[in-house]
Amino acid sequence: MENKSPSGSEATSYYGKKPSGTVENREQKSPASPRATAAKELYFETKSSVSIEFPYWYTRKWEELEGEIPMVRRGEALKAGFEHLTPVIYPGELLVMGKAAYLRGSYPMPWLSEAFFMAAEDKLYQEALESGKLTADTFTTLGKGGGNVTKSTGNVISLAGKFGVRVEELPVLLEVAKKWYGKSVDDVGHRYEQVVPGYSEKEALMRSVICMFDSGYTLPQGREVINFYYPLQYGIDGLIRICEEGISDTAGYPEMDRIYFYTGVIRMLEGIRSWIYNYSEEADFLASIEKDPKQKKEYLDIANRLSWLSTNPPRNFHEALQMVWIFHVAVLNEDAISGLSPGRLGQVLYPYWKRDMEKGIIDEAQTLELLECMRIKFTEIDCFASMGVVGGVLSGNTFNNLCVGGLKKDGTQAANELEMLILESGITCDTPQPTLSLLYDEKLPEEFLLKGVSCTKIGTGYPAWVNNQVAMEFLLNNYGHEGMQVEEARAWSIGGCLETSPGSWMPLNLDGEIHWIPGGSAPATSVGVHFLSLPKILEVVLFDGMDMRSGERIFPSHGFALNSYDELWQAFQTYFHRAVHVLTLTNNIQHDAWRKISPSLVNSMLKPDCLDKGRDIGQMGSRYNTTFNVESCGTANLVNSLASLKKNVYDQKNFSLKDYQAAILANFGYKTAQETGSYSLLDQVATEEYDKWKKIHKFSLDAPKFGNDDAYVDAVMAQWENWFCSMTHEFRSLYDQPLYACQISVSTHGPMGAVTLASADGRLSGTTFSDGSVSAYPGTDRNGPYALFESASCWNHSLSQNSQMNIKIHPSVVKGREGSRKFLELIRSYMRKGGFHVQFNIVDSRMLKQAQEDPDKFRSLLVRVAGFTQYWVELGKQIQDEVISRTEYEEL
Amino acid sequence: MEYKCKDCRFYLPVDVFRGLCKMEKTTITPDNLSCKEFDRQPKCKFCTHYTAEKEFLGKCMGNKLASPDLNASKCVDFTWMQLN
Repeated sequence: MENKSPSGSEATSYYGKKPSGTVENREQKSPASPRATAAKELYFETKSSVSIEFPYWYTRKWEELEGEIPMVRRGEALKAGFEHLTPVIYPGELLVMGKAAYLRGSYPMPWLSEAFFMAAEDKLYQEALESGKLTADTFTTLGKGGGNVTKSTGNVISLAGKFGVRVEELPVLLEVAKKWYGKSVDDVGHRYEQVVPGYSEKEALMRSVICMFDSGYTLPQGREVINFYYPLQYGIDGLIRICEEGISDTAGYPEMDRIYFYTGVIRMLEGIRSWIYNYSEEADFLASIEKDPKQKKEYLDIANRLSWLSTNPPRNFHEALQMVWIFHVAVLNEDAISGLSPGRLGQVLYPYWKRDMEKGIIDEAQTLELLECMRIKFTEIDCFASMGVVGGVLSGNTFNNLCVGGLKKDGTQAANELEMLILESGITCDTPQPTLSLLYDEKLPEEFLLKGVSCTKIGTGYPAWVNNQVAMEFLLNNYGHEGMQVEEARAWSIGGCLETSPGSWMPLNLDGEIHWIPGGSAPATSVGVHFLSLPKILEVVLFDGMDMRSGERIFPSHGFALNSYDELWQAFQTYFHRAVHVLTLTNNIQHDAWRKISPSLVNSMLKPDCLDKGRDIGQMGSRYNTTFNVESCGTANLVNSLASLKKNVYDQKNFSLKDYQAAILANFGYKTAQETGSYSLLDQVATEEYDKWKKIHKFSLDAPKFGNDDAYVDAVMAQWENWFCSMTHEFRSLYDQPLYACQISVSTHGPMGAVTLASADGRLSGTTFSDGSVSAYPGTDRNGPYALFESASCWNHSLSQNSQMNIKIHPSVVKGREGSRKFLELIRSYMRKGGFHVQFNIVDSRMLKQAQEDPDKFRSLLVRVAGFTQYWVELGKQIQDEVISRTEYEEL
Repeated sequence: MEYKCKDCRFYLPVDVFRGLCKMEKTTITPDNLSCKEFDRQPKCKFCTHYTAEKEFLGKCMGNKLASPDLNASKCVDFTWMQLN
């Protein structure tokens, strides 16, 4: 059979002259320090590994305290987990401590969910499968290389397609997990969510992968900005004293629930204190056996630093950075979390750094080396979750976003010299984490912006460029009713890959001088309805409520004859509304189970104003609580499909709706992506039926496509966005706050595309959707970046928590100083149009093809996916194919 | 009793496949047989409170679930089992 690729045989589309000759490398960069280079090499050779220690001791203590007040029981269980973690310090480390006793260590949290890592024949696994909780796992492809343990071998068992566990630890892991049968957040939430009227519709939505996952037990926290103020200001013993005073002040008075919160926090802090001190002892031990005097001194320095920090606040920049890292990991150890962002860390730590620089305690070279070490530590973070979550959503990443730029409390520009070094460390030590975002504001200095460009253009994918003013407008619109004003809106940052998150200014007192440092002041800003597949909902509309892939009815008949475009649009709105309704209610119950069974203590203690109120984040202890959202996926495919139907069926009457239904079921005469193993539109195989569907497929491909400054399709986009961003406010969260729209795909466009039939825009069955929400569908943006900007800005981005755009540019286009200037002007023009976010892959697509064919030679190759940067070899093929097929711009 | 590197105090785990020797800085696997520098790491299987029940599973103090290879260096009840 002849290979008839719908858009030609090329794997990539080009805007401008197609590159020829040898594959263009990315721009040369300065190397990392020898210390960071060695650490990176060790990382490259390391596999994701699971340890049983924390869940074992957590569960053991939990069982011992049957009958205790839940908040105190939780604090004691966390304490037991922390104080029994084996300390591991690797040679050459300047920052130490990690989630578990492995370099890329993590562990299951069966108190959240336990079914997904049980054996396939286990009863609990089967029940989860039937309820649709594991369907996304089935349609997710994980990267086969890098640190993923994709199959069991020797004494190592593969879990969830990514994590290795030692064979001698597996039996106890399974026994511990079984202790949570019927008691985990997942199980309890599931028991009670079934009381929601129309619950069966929710399970159908999950089985069809119209919805990807429940946030309440998979990733209940994250997509938020951490706040480091309290440990930096008070130290651990100081925080314990605050809690003890809180108990004295409230014991026996109304609202005495506060004493349980304070007691739980104290127990948790005692555990963290022991954890730090255990590391200090280990460093002392290592020093005692170390022969190299330089390494010996470093171990002793670590021991002294940690011994001090186990009780006291930091005294200098290095200690402050170590303290930040300790509490970042501590939060990650209390829940399964993605997207816990350190926020504007360069501004938080600036007072310490500035003082150390003035005193000659540290210099720029030492700072850079330390920041490189920080990048390695963040890159080591793994999150143990199901294959659908870790692969289908996270692509193995955990989205720790560090932001630079923005404005200070007083409205002046906030960039500083330490942030310049943070950007430099992102260049010299190019690793996936922490990813960087530059909060673009017109007030930022040119030198700083050009530094950001220098980093982006070497191909790291970061910093992403984010519009400060648009974000502030979103925050004031959504948090104004909770008291937010302009001054505090300036303290915002990105949580997770691209979730606009509220912040607060905290008064750090250093040597008697107050420094207003920014930090997060809300819990997870992206929980709720996650994610909704827009093209799949349209598919179900076209088949009157049926999922034709599985043959299952998802919704009752919508009752529309679909005789006009307005009717089609109304039917889509009806189904979308139904989905959001039932998923909001069931997710509220899931999160209610979470806050009762597994309340946050570490993160709650950090977030203003939980310590003041004596309430955890689950009881609205945070300053801001409007944090639930509706996340979408596949925007460009929805919009392009609606435009194609509008034009071809209703306006020009080239085909009937029945013609489209038949063509979709026939996949326009092509084999499916599952059959070919290829997940982009541009590398597909026709069947013998191809000629029958050729005409309708051509009309579908030729229909107006979003991203070309085409008023016809851009009007469809504007109609969708204005409705979507508004309708979310009709729904109320667990905290009785309105929901808002969130529009990032992360990696969900892979598995969600995999279960979706062909769409009316010409996309074929099983292929990956467009990424983000204002990215064009790969290969369809043919008029250059400025046309894409025009299309993307056809609606007001401040209506949504975010909008996400990806652009791929050939390295030669932005080369040199002139290239940098041109690149900055391009970014600036989008920001001035009101675009919220743009991120770039600066890469020759032919290199990506080479890397796909010979991954071992490209272990360190980074690409930008959708809100995060990841090693190419750790991405699944669904996402790799989509990134390759994105239009490559050869000129600006 | 035949000891492996994973039972040694000088074993530094990197991942589930390998680790480093804290003394020699060499890469080793957890299942390597121990060398002359071997020093036992406190683990449940070396504790008087541990009772083996089946492969890789046992009880602590007769009633609590336990795992033979669990690191017990931070367990307050750990008591060295006497070697024969």
